[in-house]
Amino acid sequence: MRLVVRVAAMFAGMFLLIGAGARAETPDAALAKLIDDARREAATPGTCSQAGLDRLVRIFCDQKLRTGVREYYPLFGTREGQTRSGYDVDVARAVAKHLGVEPVFTRVNAASRIPLLADDKIDLTIATMGHNAQRDSQVRFIRPHYYQSETIIVGPKAVPVRDWRDIAGRTVCVTIGNNSNAQIVAHNARLMLFDEAGLLPDKLKDETCTLAAQDDSFFDYYFTEPGFADRFNRKFGFAQLPWGMAVALNGSDRLARALDLTSQIFHRDGVFLAIAKENRISTGFLEGQRQVWSSAACNTDKGTSDPACILPALNTTLEPTRYAKQVAEFEKWVEARTGIALQLPMFKTMPAWLLFKAGIINSLVLVAGALAATLAFSIALGAVQSSRSAVIRWPARGLVIVLQSSPVVLTLVIAAAVAQAFFAYSSAVAIGAAIVALGLMNGSNAGQAIAEAMHTLRTERGSASIPTLELLSRAVSRSATQIVSFLINAAKGTPIASFIGAPELLSALTDITSFASGRASTYSLLLIFYVVVVIVVVWLCGKLRDALERRQVVA
Amino acid sequence: MSLRISSDFVPQFLAGMVVNFEIAAIALLIGLALGGLLGLARLSGGLLGGAATTLIGLMRAAPTFVVMFFLLNIIPADATLFGLPAAPSPLMTVALSLVPYSASYVADNGVEALKQMRAGSPLGALLFLPNVTRAFFVLVMSSSAGAAIGVTEGIAVILREAEQMPTLGDKLVLFGIGILCFGIALQAGFAIVRALQRHLGRLALRDRQG
Repeated sequence: MRLVVRVAAMFAGMFLLIGAGARAETPDAALAKLIDDARREAATPGTCSQAGLDRLVRIFCDQKLRTGVREYYPLFGTREGQTRSGYDVDVARAVAKHLGVEPVFTRVNAASRIPLLADDKIDLTIATMGHNAQRDSQVRFIRPHYYQSETIIVGPKAVPVRDWRDIAGRTVCVTIGNNSNAQIVAHNARLMLFDEAGLLPDKLKDETCTLAAQDDSFFDYYFTEPGFADRFNRKFGFAQLPWGMAVALNGSDRLARALDLTSQIFHRDGVFLAIAKENRISTGFLEGQRQVWSSAACNTDKGTSDPACILPALNTTLEPTRYAKQVAEFEKWVEARTGIALQLPMFKTMPAWLLFKAGIINSLVLVAGALAATLAFSIALGAVQSSRSAVIRWPARGLVIVLQSSPVVLTLVIAAAVAQAFFAYSSAVAIGAAIVALGLMNGSNAGQAIAEAMHTLRTERGSASIPTLELLSRAVSRSATQIVSFLINAAKGTPIASFIGAPELLSALTDITSFASGRASTYSLLLIFYVVVVIVVVWLCGKLRDALERRQVVA
Repeated sequence: MSLRISSDFVPQFLAGMVVNFEIAAIALLIGLALGGLLGLARLSGGLLGGAATTLIGLMRAAPTFVVMFFLLNIIPADATLFGLPAAPSPLMTVALSLVPYSASYVADNGVEALKQMRAGSPLGALLFLPNVTRAFFVLVMSSSAGAAIGVTEGIAVILREAEQMPTLGDKLVLFGIGILCFGIALQAGFAIVRALQRHLGRLALRDRQG
């Protein structure tokens, strides 16, 4: 008897398993069941007035899908009068149609799209929202993602930029706070920061920027303008960011599941792809996803939870420093006592801290190098300008005139261009080029003062009475004030080395503020640092001048 | 070697150089006003004089390039003053970043000029004029820093053109043209300074003889 019962139970179990497998084999069947169950529940008298209903049931109670979309995001969510258009809007309409309800739109922006979900003002947000790991604690993202943007580098067609190797040493215009900025910085590019993305196309057009980096979804609109598309093209893309539809974390389990399956079906059937084509946006990601979701491995009701099928959220969390907590507490303490919203991002995350530390070291190396180069070039140029041989003297004087006539930025750029002709671009090459340029610029002026002092010494003391080296030494002492003045000038000029990509402190802090907050505090700190450095240099140069002048008195 | 320069380069470059002079003029005008006040405060002595001396010292030590980025980042884009928009344009930001240099220079030379005047040497005091002219040309050259924040001044135009050039040789020729143009302006400026100094020297001689 027991055996009969066991065999019967085994058959019953097998039957149930097969039955269950058959029921949920395809995403379509799973979705159909979910919708049927929810509709049936909504149709049950008294259900719709109950509190704590899952949003899927309530959508069928109201026959409305309340969706948050953007109104000022060209090609994705725009509104003219009562007419809404864009990829996100059309996706919302397609989802609502698939569920058999009416879409009702609410305007959202980057700041309101999550709070409106939490406040139950909308059921779903489809609003160009990137899926990063931090947002997972705020909303439930629908998988698979309905779109993916990436940061693209855009520039004039004539500019030969193919990949990261062509970016080093170039200036890229970016918007502050863009997560991909850190990646650009890591490839030795300089950043020119702007507050709003809307400025970038204009800055490309008026040639203020040669290259600009921003989401492809942003540039898609501009590439629909013939004037823009004729002049500029996309160089390459990086920092891919999946975009997710999202629902509230609480009370949306069944809605989220229904939307997961809908999104999966839309990818497989090319619904997203067709909507994207209609709205003239990039389709590369959607074409890839169509293949993924058409494959037998992913086209099941379990596909949306299979890591091999879905994309991970982007993890943009920066590793904190050991003392990040204490720094945050210090910031709060200062604000509580002074009302000043001090922010010290350079001490809170490891990438920022490493950039900051390297920036300080490079700045000090640059200052020391510029001082040494100025001194060396001034003595060398002073000596050759005082040469008795016209063949040596006149070219040296010509060089001095050229150096004096060249604006500082141009001299730096020339030094960097020549250095890059001989060496591959690196931070050390940029610092070296800056040291040579600053040394030549200031050394030429100080050298002229030494040459003039040599001339006066020769006039005063006769031509042959003093050996040349001693004469030069006395000329250096006599022109001490001028030399010191140009040494100070060299120290003050070092931050401009950031223009050619030398990773000194200004450069480092610009990079830090491009992906972190606290611009006001950061640049105040920078100003204090350089003023202190220059004051120290002035003090040291004062000592040098005293020593040189004492030597002159002795002589 | 055939250097290919775009047809609109020359007018754009000349317009860019005008921007350099414009920035220098604004910086010098503000520097004259602020430096004059600081110089007078320094001469007054006491606490005010001490404060002015400290401020002049700090302004002298502030690197222009850092001040430029400081101003660019510290002033919000929607800043207002008495209800009016007060956020400076990039051009104005460059000019303002040169003010610490021009004001401290004016204060130093202004104090010296006033001392000469008090010592009974009006011509010695007049040396202030060639010194200010020299500062103006230093400011013109320094205004090229604006290229870093997108101001379309002379050097920015040259760098933009250079980006399109394939070889280092072409770029160096273009840079040479830039140096020549700025050099002519600078040397002309210094010639003015020298002429002014000679003129003042002659006046001084006539004064002594008279």
